Amino acid sequence: MANISGKAYALTVLSPIKKGCIGDTSYQISYADEVQSRLHGLRDCEDSPLAKVPQTYLARFFILDDVFYESTPGCDPFCNLLDILSIFQDRFRLLTLPREDHLKSRYLVFSSNFHGDLENYLRGMWSAISADIKNIWEHCVAFDKVQDAEGFITYIKRCQLTANLFFNGSTNDPLEDDSLEEQLKALYLKQQFAKFAVSHQGLEAAELQEAFRAFIDRVQPNQLAAPTWSPGQSIP
Amino acid sequence: MSNIAGKAYAMNVITPIRWYMAWINKLIFRLATRDSSSLRGLVTLSLIHYARWVIIDRWKFPHLDPSQPKEDLHYSYMLFFSNFNGSWDQYVDSFTFAIPSGLDLFWKKNVRYPKSVPLTPFHDYIRHNQIDTDHYYNAYPLASSNDVKSAKHLKRKLIAFEQGVRDAGPEEFLKKYHTLLVEVQYDLGDMQPAPIVSLAAQAVDARRLLDAQGRR
Repeated sequence: MANISGKAYALTVLSPIKKGCIGDTSYQISYADEVQSRLHGLRDCEDSPLAKVPQTYLARFFILDDVFYESTPGCDPFCNLLDILSIFQDRFRLLTLPREDHLKSRYLVFSSNFHGDLENYLRGMWSAISADIKNIWEHCVAFDKVQDAEGFITYIKRCQLTANLFFNGSTNDPLEDDSLEEQLKALYLKQQFAKFAVSHQGLEAAELQEAFRAFIDRVQPNQLAAPTWSPGQSIP
Repeated sequence: MSNIAGKAYAMNVITPIRWYMAWINKLIFRLATRDSSSLRGLVTLSLIHYARWVIIDRWKFPHLDPSQPKEDLHYSYMLFFSNFNGSWDQYVDSFTFAIPSGLDLFWKKNVRYPKSVPLTPFHDYIRHNQIDTDHYYNAYPLASSNDVKSAKHLKRKLIAFEQGVRDAGPEEFLKKYHTLLVEVQYDLGDMQPAPIVSLAAQAVDARRLLDAQGRR
């Protein structure tokens, strides 16, 4: 399945948002704008609710308001042919205009790149941030039926789209994709060892060996839990 | 709203494709999935964390309830989501200059796709069809895609080295330590917050600063 590359999973979700507005006569806002406003209110990096969701590498939300009308010049041979024919009649030129599409619903789009399988990921997501999930998806069609993790999994699967191609550029070997904890620990070690190598140049062998042992005791390369980078950490 | 999270940029592009032609793109993607060597150009670019292409058939937009109107579209649509390092211009230009034919293949049959060369019409096409991200999360905002790959290599080497020198004398340790440094020299580097590469990045930075002040 193209949603999977090695151990990384590409989740693509389009959740239709209810039509209509909330608020009273003094202040009204459409459901979709309210969802967007809530997304804008989320904090970034380590303070994002997604930082609490296990195994999330990169994820995003946006509102799909409508599709675009393709009014820009293109490279379509059919268009070029009709353009040539327009020397006989203008209607040929008009035939080259693309059709106009509009969506009947606005959609909340959620896209996540994570490590592991879908159901465990969604279960972990519900367990970690169910209050945020309810806040974000509250005005989506049929979300009111979601009461628990299993309901959330069912709902997301109904809104899920299958990727046709998923490219994983974060590893040289997708079969050896690391969990998020492994990746964060590796990044922590990279940062720490670079500093160690720079600050311990030119030492005598015995002195360097002693310093290295102290370094290993401090950074604990095999301990994933700590010390390490935290998910979303924005300050080194 | 932010398309930027640390060193990653979130691009969302949605483009129409004639529904009766979409099978050609699906076939191209299926072949590319089966033969990973066809993605060598993307691998060489080395600035992408993850990217995906999703074709939504015009009758397959999620419909969850009878109260929701069914979509009635002329075209199917292709979604492209990318997580890359660097600025928008660097990314789009690198596509044009590094893998123009591959790009044209992936967007083949998309309505009014101008091809990736020349540059300006391609820029206009992407900009015209791009949607801004409302919330973007990156688990490692300080790291680029290459940092993630090199960190993995360094971790493996460091653990093996530590196990190999536990009983070594100082001189043997020093010799092996120098060998380690040579082996991981391309993996070392200090990861710091991303440089400000655009006005948008500057705005994100300013907002984060305000957020941080608000928390105090």
